[in-house]
Amino acid sequence: MSPSLANRLRIGFAIGFAVLTAMAVIGVARFIQQRQDFEDAIARSYQVEMAARVRVARGGADAAQAAVASQQIRRDELRDQISSDTRDTALLVAAGLVAGLTGALLLFSGLIASMRQPLEELVDAAGRLAGGDRSARVEVGGLSETATLGAAFNEMADELQREASQRDRLDRLKDEFVLTASHELRSPLTSVQGFAELLMLERDSLTPKQVETVEIILDNCRHLVRLLNDLLDLARSDAGRLGISPVPTALAPLIDDAVRTMRAQTDVSGQALTQRIEPDLPEVNAEGARIRQILVNLLTNAHEYSPEGASIEVAARVADAEVEIVVTDDGPGIPESQLQHIFERFVRGDAGLTQRVGGTGLGLAIAKSLVELHGGTIAVESTPGVGSAFSFRLPVARAAGAAAGAAETGR
Amino acid sequence: MTRVLVADDSETILLLMRTRLELAGYEVDTAADGQEVTERWDEGRPGELPDLLLLDAMMPRKSGLDALRELRAAGVDTPALIVSAHQDATDADAPRDLEISGYLTKPIDFDRLLDSIAELTGS
Repeated sequence: MSPSLANRLRIGFAIGFAVLTAMAVIGVARFIQQRQDFEDAIARSYQVEMAARVRVARGGADAAQAAVASQQIRRDELRDQISSDTRDTALLVAAGLVAGLTGALLLFSGLIASMRQPLEELVDAAGRLAGGDRSARVEVGGLSETATLGAAFNEMADELQREASQRDRLDRLKDEFVLTASHELRSPLTSVQGFAELLMLERDSLTPKQVETVEIILDNCRHLVRLLNDLLDLARSDAGRLGISPVPTALAPLIDDAVRTMRAQTDVSGQALTQRIEPDLPEVNAEGARIRQILVNLLTNAHEYSPEGASIEVAARVADAEVEIVVTDDGPGIPESQLQHIFERFVRGDAGLTQRVGGTGLGLAIAKSLVELHGGTIAVESTPGVGSAFSFRLPVARAAGAAAGAAETGR
Repeated sequence: MTRVLVADDSETILLLMRTRLELAGYEVDTAADGQEVTERWDEGRPGELPDLLLLDAMMPRKSGLDALRELRAAGVDTPALIVSAHQDATDADAPRDLEISGYLTKPIDFDRLLDSIAELTGS
């Protein structure tokens, strides 16, 4: 059992009080004793002198005269003696008090020092724990109060570590589950889509109703594939496994490509899809396929949420040390209340619209993850009834050498 | 006629592949796993060996990649396409020494698959 601070203080106070009291009592007793002795000696001296004076008055000899004089000298000496003794006693008491107080101070500073070290260690460990170091613990020892505190801290840290590792395990299981599920679902999906395509190869011998039915199957297959791909991307992003290998990349060809991919769909809806790319746009540090994925995500949203005949534009321009890419549409816009949650998973626009629109509700969450993986930012502005603008910024690639170095270490 | 050996652990997928490839004019042989693929060579009938391999990357008993590794070690240089259920399987992930001619992901884009086969077999 460690000694407790309270007990040490109690013992310290008791010893200190006893020492000081003893010093005071000894001092006062000695003072009284000296005073008593002095007064007795003075009284005796007066008696002797009186006796000598009586002898002088009776016409005594010179010897009596001398005795009177000597008693006066004797008393002067006694008075000197008593004042010197009193001073000594006072000094003794003062020295005792000083020694007692110094002892008490030393005791206190010792106690404070013995508390300070474990407390500092505790503060340090708490800081590390808060900073994410789950192995932060303190040495348990010293005074019982700090030992109890340290043991309580360690117990709390153990509990946190248990919970965190449990959470990590569940996260891993979830990621593995999503990966496996997405993997396992692909085989049957391949069959469904493949056989539906097979039917479409013979569409001439199908009735229009049958062709429409098969087209619905194929549409849903594509939707399922998108959902699986999106889920997989998000699971990877959560697990920190959605790695990118950025290299200096020209944006114009990627925008061209994304626009070409989307053109078939926007043409069917009679939507005008245009691009406006600033000339001499610098290269960005990016992985082309991922940027294309972001662009197609944003363009698909603009296409699906805007009515027939709407205008959609992709613009790219330099903004400080970044390139800003904006996808604008003049569709129905997004209500203020939904705008702040728009990049969260499974958050989708207006319910009436989303029934018509076949998205997964994951596209913007993925776009955000991907943009942030590139060290960029994504934002949205929208006015209901006027349209929406989704913009993302990517850092401009620095000199080729530096960018290549960054890409190496980013792997 | 160009002969294609398709390996997949799903009978439905094998049926789908056989139907599509036969429609495109190929002779199709199927295997349920990598073990059956390597056995074609063990049986040693050179006239019946495939001109192209279409292997699923993940199969029980022996994966497509393991089967290909054995074949390459035995000096077999038949071109091979790998089908992976991973959406982002790329050349970067693959062992370089296996001389893989291309990757396909599930669901299979048959237009792309038929283009690749035609290119690899010169048919």
